[in-house]
Amino acid sequence: MTAASDIIATVLSVMLQQSPFFIFAAMGEIVSEQAGVANLGLEGIMEISLVTTFIIEYVTGDAWIALFAAMGIAGAVGAFFALTTLRLRMDQIAAGLAIYLFGLGISFVIFNTAYPTGLTPNYVGLPPLVASWNKVPFVGVIFLKQNVLVYVSMVFVVATAFFLNRTSYGLRVRAVGENPKAADNMGVNVNKVRFLAVLFGAMTFGVAGFYFAGNFVSGFQTDIIAGRGFIVLAMVYFANWKPYRALFAALSFNLVYALQIEYVSLSGSGVASFTTLFNMLPYVFLLALIPVFGRKARAPKFLLKPYRKG
Amino acid sequence: MAGLLVVVLAGGNLGVALSSLFLNPITLAGGVQQIFVRFVLFYTMALGVGLALKAGLWNIGAQGQLLIGMVMVFVVYTFLAFLPWPVLYLAMIVGAALGGLLWILVPTVLRVKFGANEIVVTILLNVVAVNFAFYMLSGPIKSTGTALGFPHSIELPSTFQIPYILGSPITYAVPATIILGVILYLVIERTPFRVRANTVGESPETARYAGISIPRMMAITMLAAGALAGLAGATYIMGFRYELDIGSFSTNYGLVAIICALVGRKHMIGIGLASFFFAYMTIGAESMALSANVPTYVVFAMEGIMMIGILLGAYLTERRYAV
Repeated sequence: MTAASDIIATVLSVMLQQSPFFIFAAMGEIVSEQAGVANLGLEGIMEISLVTTFIIEYVTGDAWIALFAAMGIAGAVGAFFALTTLRLRMDQIAAGLAIYLFGLGISFVIFNTAYPTGLTPNYVGLPPLVASWNKVPFVGVIFLKQNVLVYVSMVFVVATAFFLNRTSYGLRVRAVGENPKAADNMGVNVNKVRFLAVLFGAMTFGVAGFYFAGNFVSGFQTDIIAGRGFIVLAMVYFANWKPYRALFAALSFNLVYALQIEYVSLSGSGVASFTTLFNMLPYVFLLALIPVFGRKARAPKFLLKPYRKG
Repeated sequence: MAGLLVVVLAGGNLGVALSSLFLNPITLAGGVQQIFVRFVLFYTMALGVGLALKAGLWNIGAQGQLLIGMVMVFVVYTFLAFLPWPVLYLAMIVGAALGGLLWILVPTVLRVKFGANEIVVTILLNVVAVNFAFYMLSGPIKSTGTALGFPHSIELPSTFQIPYILGSPITYAVPATIILGVILYLVIERTPFRVRANTVGESPETARYAGISIPRMMAITMLAAGALAGLAGATYIMGFRYELDIGSFSTNYGLVAIICALVGRKHMIGIGLASFFFAYMTIGAESMALSANVPTYVVFAMEGIMMIGILLGAYLTERRYAV
C-alpha cells in the first residue's frame, strides 16, 4: 500500500508538471482575445510547433534551440492568421479552423518526410530543476523534479496580468478589443496592436507545443494533442479573460486530471474498462463550472469583429 | 493548386498526383461509392451546422454528435435486440439522431439558460464524446469475437445494412439524404423561418423588437443540428462502415462539415453542392496521397488551404463589387 503522503506528492507533481502547457497558451489566447481576435487555430499551431520541437531537438540535441524554433514557426503561422483575419477580414472562426486543419495535416506530413520509417526521435527534453530531487522527500517530487518552465509559466501569469492591467500597452490591447473606434480616435493603430497581440498569442502556442513534447508524449503521432489545445479556449472563457483566473482554471483542471490518473493507477486492472470513462472527468469538471463561472463571463465587446478604419 | 504543392514538397510526383486528384475518384474501383459515402456524411452534418449558423450559432461539436450517433446505433442494436426487425431498424436510425440531439442538449441549455458560449461548450463535448465512445467500445458494445487488437464493435448483419440500389455503387441513403436536403430547403428557405433565423443571427436587437423568440429559435436550430449530426452517424455506420472501431474517432468530419456549410453559404441546396465538391476532393486527395506515396493526412492540410482559398475568393469578389 502506498503511503498517503506519496499519493499526495504524486498528484501535486503531475498537476504542476502538466499545467504550463495550458498556462502559456491561455495567456496568449487571453491577450489575443482581449485585443478582439479569437484564435481557434491554436491546436494546429501547437501541432506544428510540436513536430518542429521533435525534429530540431533531434538534429541539434538542444532543447532551447528547439524552443526558439517552435516559437518562430508558431509566430510565422500566427502572422499568417493575422493577415487573413485583420487585413483580409476573414471570419475569425472559419480562418482559425482552417489553420487548425492545416496544422493537423502538415505536421504529420513534415514528420513523415523527416522520418519516413516512422522512427521516434530520441527526445531529450528539459532537465528537472534539481538533478538530485529524489534525495528530498515529499518536496522533491512536487517542486524540485519540475523543469524550469513550470516556474517560468507562473511568472508569466504575473507578467501578463501586469502587462494587461498596469501598462499603457496593455491598456491599448484592451482598448482595441473593447472599443476600437475610440482607440483609433486616440491615435492607436488598431490593426497593428491586434497584429502584435495575435503574434504574441501564437508564440505562446509555440511554447505550449514545445512543452507538450516530453511532458505529455515522447513520440509523434497524428492528432496527438487530441483536443487538449482547444481546452485552453474553455479555460480562457471561464477565467473571464483574466490571467489569474486562467491560472486557477488550469491548475484545477490538472488537479482533477492528476487525481483521476492516480486513482486509476492505484486501482489497477479492476477498473480497466472504466479508465476511459474516468478520462472524461477533467472535461466534465470544466463543463460543470460553466453555470457557476460562465454566467458572469463578459467577452471583449469587439471580439470576432474586424475593424475597418473610417 | 496549393494542395498539389504540399504533395510535391512531401516528395510526390506531380503528374501522378494531378491525375489521381481529379480522375481517380471516378476511375478507380470503389471511387464513386466512396464519394457518395462522404457526400451523405458531409451533407447531413453540414445541413445542421448551416442551420445553426443561420441563427448565428457555431456548432463546432458536430464531430462529437456524429460519434455519439455511431455509438447509439450499436447501443440500440444491442439493448433493444428483442424488437422485431423493421422496428429495430428504424429504432437504430432514430436512436442515433436522438443521441446527437441529447449530446447538443447540454450546450443548448447552457447557451439559452446561462448565456454560455456554444463554441466553447461544443468543443469541450467533442473531447468528452471521444472518451465516452471509447468507453462504450471497450465495454458495453464491445465485440465478444476473438479478433485481437484495438477494441471494436460487432459487425452489423446484412439485414441491418442500408442496401445498394440495384447493384449500383450507391445506397438508398443517398436519395434519402437528397430528399432530406430538399425538404429542409422547402421548410426553411421558402418560408419566413429563414428571415427569422437570420434576424436572430445577425441582429438579436431587431429580433427582439419583431417579437421573435430568440431562445426558441436558438433551441430549434441547435437541437436540429445535433439530431442531423447523429443521423449522419447512423447512415455512415449502417450504410458503409457496419462496425465501429477507434479508427473512426480521430477523423475531423465535423470540421469539414463546417467548411461545407460556410462554402455553401448556409443555403440548404448550396450546402449540398459544397458537400459533393468536398466529398469528391477528399477522395481525390486521399487517392492522390496514396499514389504519390505521401500520408493521407495531407488531406487535412489541403482542406485547410482550400478553406483559406475559398474565404479569400469571397473576400475578393466582395471587394470587387463594393463601392
